[in-house]
Amino acid sequence: MIEVDGLVKAYGRVRAVDGVSFTVRAGEVVALLGPNGAGKSTTIKAITGLLRPTGGRVAVGGNGLESAPLRAKALLGYVPDRPYLYQKLTGRELLRFLARLRRVRDGETRAEAWLRHFDLQRSANELIETYSHGMRQKLTFAAALLHDPPALVIDEPMVGLDPRAAHDVRALMRRRADDGGAVLLTTHSMEVAEAVADRVLLLHHGRIRAAGTMEELRRRVGVQDATLEAIFLQLTEEASRAGSP
Amino acid sequence: MLSGIFIGVLAATRHGVRFLDHYPGIGTIAGAVEQRSLEALFTVLMLAVAFSVLTGAIATLYGSQDLPFLLSLPVSPVRVFTLKVVETYVSSALLPALFTVPVLVGLGIERHAPAGYYLIAMAALLALYALPVAAGALAALVLMRIAPAGRAKEVATAASVGLAAALVLGMRALRPERLGNLTPAQFDHALARFAELRVSWLPSAWGSTAVWRALQGHVSVYALVLAVVSVLVLAGVARVAALAYRAGWFRSLDATGHRGPVGVLPAAPWEAPLARLGPAGGLLVKDLRLLARDPSQWSQLLVLVALAGVYFISTASLATEVQRFRDVVGALNLVFLGFLMAGIGIRTAFPLVSLEGEGFWLLRTGPLRARHIVLAKFWGTMPMMAVLGGGLGVAVAGRLGVSAPLALASPLAGACAGMAVTGLGVGLGAAFPRFDAASPAEVPLSTGGLLYMALSLGYAALATALFAYPAYRTLRAPGTFRWDSFDGAVVLAAVAVVTALWTVLPLIFGSARLARYESGLG
Repeated sequence: MIEVDGLVKAYGRVRAVDGVSFTVRAGEVVALLGPNGAGKSTTIKAITGLLRPTGGRVAVGGNGLESAPLRAKALLGYVPDRPYLYQKLTGRELLRFLARLRRVRDGETRAEAWLRHFDLQRSANELIETYSHGMRQKLTFAAALLHDPPALVIDEPMVGLDPRAAHDVRALMRRRADDGGAVLLTTHSMEVAEAVADRVLLLHHGRIRAAGTMEELRRRVGVQDATLEAIFLQLTEEASRAGSP
Repeated sequence: MLSGIFIGVLAATRHGVRFLDHYPGIGTIAGAVEQRSLEALFTVLMLAVAFSVLTGAIATLYGSQDLPFLLSLPVSPVRVFTLKVVETYVSSALLPALFTVPVLVGLGIERHAPAGYYLIAMAALLALYALPVAAGALAALVLMRIAPAGRAKEVATAASVGLAAALVLGMRALRPERLGNLTPAQFDHALARFAELRVSWLPSAWGSTAVWRALQGHVSVYALVLAVVSVLVLAGVARVAALAYRAGWFRSLDATGHRGPVGVLPAAPWEAPLARLGPAGGLLVKDLRLLARDPSQWSQLLVLVALAGVYFISTASLATEVQRFRDVVGALNLVFLGFLMAGIGIRTAFPLVSLEGEGFWLLRTGPLRARHIVLAKFWGTMPMMAVLGGGLGVAVAGRLGVSAPLALASPLAGACAGMAVTGLGVGLGAAFPRFDAASPAEVPLSTGGLLYMALSLGYAALATALFAYPAYRTLRAPGTFRWDSFDGAVVLAAVAVVTALWTVLPLIFGSARLARYESGLG
């Protein structure tokens, strides 16, 4: 569903992302992990069309982001790490606006359903500027899911969420994949990645250093019962020692 | 750039003083004119400080990011707020003060003032601007206590802009052109009162008197009064701010207490026809809601209404009995309309794309091309701008009673200018967006804003050149020019082509640049 092939993003002479390739198939959750500055958010932004790749190709549902951006974006739902929304709209108005923007049929009904799902009905008529960070994050999830996208891209999904909402979001990501959707997420929480991801990609200095299921990664580090955190630490240390650029 | 402004103002002041001193027959009144001019300058700049200080004071006294940190330190709140009051003073009064310095220096040089003059003049200047800063900061403190919780910034912005608009309209309503209708006896009386130079209760008069006495080597009592009063009021404001802090100003910052109506609120009836237009209609509905709720946006409209009102009153006041003179004013109106619309466009059309702010990622990640966004903004504003320009053209031409060719040219020039500046503003605003701007007024402070001003004035000049032909024919040989003639058709076609070029090319340019924009998104 999401195909990234030889993605390069350079800022001057610095390559933030350097030849990254991977796919996220329908029915799976893929976690993109890496230390700060590894290139995770840059990769995500290139997939969602917020950044223009310097090289390589991104496609969603077979639609190239350069050649058919509207079709590609219509299949995507995106939750950024910082939920900047229109402060002077109410939550309900924001969802209504996005339903119109994306030409969602039954936009009102869907909006109400997601407001209920995220327990936002009582604050739906209040201006977003009065929302807490967690409420904004939940509203951003509702906005991303409003058009029922087959591909979901989530940058740091748990930031600001209360335990209940975090649990719901974790279940939601798993359920969407089980229902045939593709979910790509970046996170610093090894626990979340281990719990919901079918596969893990480890990004370091703009390159993928390791990719696979938990079992494959454990074999790679040679420790049978290694946690994802232990695997992450070992692989990033190896990558650093290998003299990465 | 600052040094350029300094040198320019200094040269202009020296030239102005020399011009007045040597004006034939001006006699002893030259000094009075200069002192009154200085007083007027002080008044205007103090008002400018007063208008900007209210929102600035709220930002520094309540909204500063470092305030919680500073107040957590083992330092007296009075000292912290003294620092914040000084910060308010610098942010609000620095530019007016920098503008005034070369005026005072120029005056001193031309009048061969003693060295002490410069010291007293600068002290008077600093003291003068402290007064509106203190008044504005006090008003901000009061506002934060009485405004609805979380709405103090909105109320402050509205109050500032409302005050500015009222003042502009009020000053224009005085109709200074009436001075031209005075009898010689009345004029003599007005002149005598003008030259009396009695010091009024206005601080600007104290300031100008202090400066004038210093020019003659004296230290005026007004200089001392100003200095003492300004230090006292600034210190007083800092103390009051600290008290207000203790009394709990969190209330005014806390917006979470707001509760909207409960239940599912359906879309408003007026949204339905716009929503049928698809994503562009949705965008328009959203923009209208934000416009209505964001005082920094609708306050701009208030200023524009005042501007249009002043323009109409000013032009209409020039109506005379002589048809030929009416047509001359009507022809000038064609020129001014273009410039007026250019000024309006920079406040309305240019910031439109940037007003998406940090929420722009929602549009960028949606199935929408950059040109859809740019065109939606253009079509959402252009009708209003064309109607405003055309309407002003009709109103002014009607009030002046110009000849038929100019009566048609006037609304045509206004409507075309409205369309062109909207295309230019939206296009260049999209090409040079500032999604991080704190207010619409801040958006044009960029390369794009300068380019817009240059190109919009270029359009006004070009349109003036095109309309000059029918205006010339109407003035030279009344009744010989007709719009349905070949000449008329050529002028109309040329105006249409120029307007279309000024509208379409920037929109294409802006769409292309916006599509490539990627800094700081999401």
